[in-house]
Amino acid sequence: MYPIIVFSVSGLLMLFLGLSVNKKSLLPYNLLFMLVGLASNFLDWNAPGLYFNGMLEISNPIILVQWVLIFAAILVSGISSRQFDDTHAYPAEYYAIMQFALVGALIMVSFQNLLMLFVGLEILSVGLYVLTGSDKRNLRGNEAAIKYFLMGSFATGIFLFGVAMFYGATGSFDISSGNSVANNLLEGKMFFWLGMVFIFIGLLFKISAAPFHFWTADVYQGAPTVFSAFMATIVKTAVIFALFRLAAYSFNLEYENWSKFLVIIIGLSMVIGNVTAVFQTNFKRVLAFSSISQAGFMLLSLIGLGAQSYGNLGFYSLSYALATISAFGVFLVISSNTIVEGRPSENINVFDGLFSRNPDLAIILLISMLSLAGIPLTSGFWSKFFVLNDAAAKGYFWILILGVLMSAVSLYYYFNPIRASFKKTDLGKIEISSLSKYTLYVCAALTILFGIAPNILRSLF
Amino acid sequence: MNKGLPQDYLPLLIQFSLALGFVVMTIFASTYLGPRLRSKRKEDPFECGIESQGDARLPMSVKYFLIAILFVLFDVEIIFMYPWAVNFKKLGWFGFTEMLMFVGFLMAGFYYIIKKGVLNWDED
Amino acid sequence: MHFLEIIKNLSLVQWAFYFLSILTLYGALGTILSKNPIHSVIYLVVTFFSISGIYIMLNAQFLAAVNVIVYAGAIMVLFLFVLMFLNLKEESTEMKTSPMLIAAVSTGLLLGLILIATIRKAEITRVNYNDFDPNTGLIETLGMVLYKNYMLPFELVSVLFLVAMSGAILLGKREKGESHF
Repeated sequence: MYPIIVFSVSGLLMLFLGLSVNKKSLLPYNLLFMLVGLASNFLDWNAPGLYFNGMLEISNPIILVQWVLIFAAILVSGISSRQFDDTHAYPAEYYAIMQFALVGALIMVSFQNLLMLFVGLEILSVGLYVLTGSDKRNLRGNEAAIKYFLMGSFATGIFLFGVAMFYGATGSFDISSGNSVANNLLEGKMFFWLGMVFIFIGLLFKISAAPFHFWTADVYQGAPTVFSAFMATIVKTAVIFALFRLAAYSFNLEYENWSKFLVIIIGLSMVIGNVTAVFQTNFKRVLAFSSISQAGFMLLSLIGLGAQSYGNLGFYSLSYALATISAFGVFLVISSNTIVEGRPSENINVFDGLFSRNPDLAIILLISMLSLAGIPLTSGFWSKFFVLNDAAAKGYFWILILGVLMSAVSLYYYFNPIRASFKKTDLGKIEISSLSKYTLYVCAALTILFGIAPNILRSLF
Repeated sequence: MNKGLPQDYLPLLIQFSLALGFVVMTIFASTYLGPRLRSKRKEDPFECGIESQGDARLPMSVKYFLIAILFVLFDVEIIFMYPWAVNFKKLGWFGFTEMLMFVGFLMAGFYYIIKKGVLNWDED
Repeated sequence: MHFLEIIKNLSLVQWAFYFLSILTLYGALGTILSKNPIHSVIYLVVTFFSISGIYIMLNAQFLAAVNVIVYAGAIMVLFLFVLMFLNLKEESTEMKTSPMLIAAVSTGLLLGLILIATIRKAEITRVNYNDFDPNTGLIETLGMVLYKNYMLPFELVSVLFLVAMSGAILLGKREKGESHF
């Protein structure tokens, strides 16, 4: 609850700081605000309950997820150092919108009322539409922003239609009122079901699950890399937890109905994400398709709705955020050192000879790729293991087999950059700012730590 | 307590249709009743002077659009004030602080707009 | 002449409802079917006005007024502005009979079919006219709900406005040395 207030105010302060402070000192302010927000979440610790007339729910697991979100935002700000130094960048606005978007994300993991979910979703999405197109000189970015905006607002419309149906069926926006129609006959549940399907579709679009994934690759590619990282981690985490809340509190009695529909979406996401990623040559598109398949894995914890699922999903989100941010971070440093035709190159061959150019970065890339692929001794292995285990407990064995199979396919494209980084090259060393270096170190270290001892994190939830 | 039924808006509807009907009637009546010469010259936007060329639809500066968007934002903000003003007494100080926060937030945004120079028309 | 019997026996409210619904659909179809984008915008205004009429029939007078002021008034002007940015002198010949169009239409029809089939089967709890409070949609009631129960979403709407504001400025503000267009 407190971080929502902190970020609302700090975003505004950030806008004003942009008018008076020079560009390079904005990042420290941004980090300061984010740390204040992170710390202010302690005030909510051990004070579970509903706040603001049943609008928000606060409980310790929710606070942990909010920490994951804020921590991921800090890491994204960390890798953004030196990225916004040129004259056509407006870091004050970028950071302000990032903080506002974080407000939306925090609401989405703790809402108790569907209207709150809608407001949160809108704050998050409007911020991201803008950030996607924030590089005004990049035509591809403009196209991506328009695409994302049109499709995203359409998805929001579908979501809102679902909310209206939900309200019509239950007479309330409170998420716990979903159970009130449980005893109705089939005819009395029709509106509720329609609402449920529309709400699911609207939110599944936002995490780019498979039949609703068409925007993902173009948007990830067109958006400035820092904001692609933001989109891949914070948006996905916030929306998947919103879905989880709905699945666990509103639609839990309809589990039999939606799980069949969701399991197909999961299968499709895994297959389309992993198989299409194999054919990509642009690294941002690879990560986009990988994020589609990761969305499929995350949704597995909704299928395996159990006592442990919330923690498993939290673990998955954090380990995915660590791996993705370090992948984007390494890529950001290298591609801004490899200018092709006036723009940073995004082809996968930018990694050529990385090991000799900067061994630290190569090792961080290796760790993050291994974690994304789900190799043991990285946190990615455990996160996949936990969610697959959950789904298998509910009897969905075929999705377990498919998941393992698709992880094997994913090895191919995750190993491409690793293979490239051990090539021989005569290119010079790569310099990296100390802030992004330490951010990447933190990501890699935590990935290994949670890979060796996953229970450190999991026991918290 | 039977006010506010849709039927109560019947006078409004009648007035609305009267106004609309009058406008439509005048347009049609003036077209068909008066004497009228039709020729290409006559139907030109400007009958005399320099002959008009091209299209009236020229692309225009994005500045207008920016101001229009900001107008819509503040327009929506003002609409939020209407239900608040109607209940001003009932909501008391609680409602007042609530609205103060809302407006304060947006006025800070407005101050930012001014400081940023968005409303300055010919600044480079 | 069963159909004519039904039409004869329609009450005034039903007449109004069917009239407004047909007008709404007419406007909506006109919006997507008319070749001239300016005409599309005008058709959309028709839709918004008739939706406002439906709001009044549902006893939501404030919403009806807001719909006219914000949507038919302000948002439509924005749409027109956007159209003026574009160079629309030549008609675009895209999307005539492309497979995309066929796919879009069939998906839309399928969705419509599913919706109609489901809603026809659905059991709708009807409002009891005797104990229904006709003041539900009035501004006083709405204000009390909005500023008491929904205080937090209301305050957060200001954050949403700020995002939109700073975003519009970020994307729309002319940079130094850029041309006017």
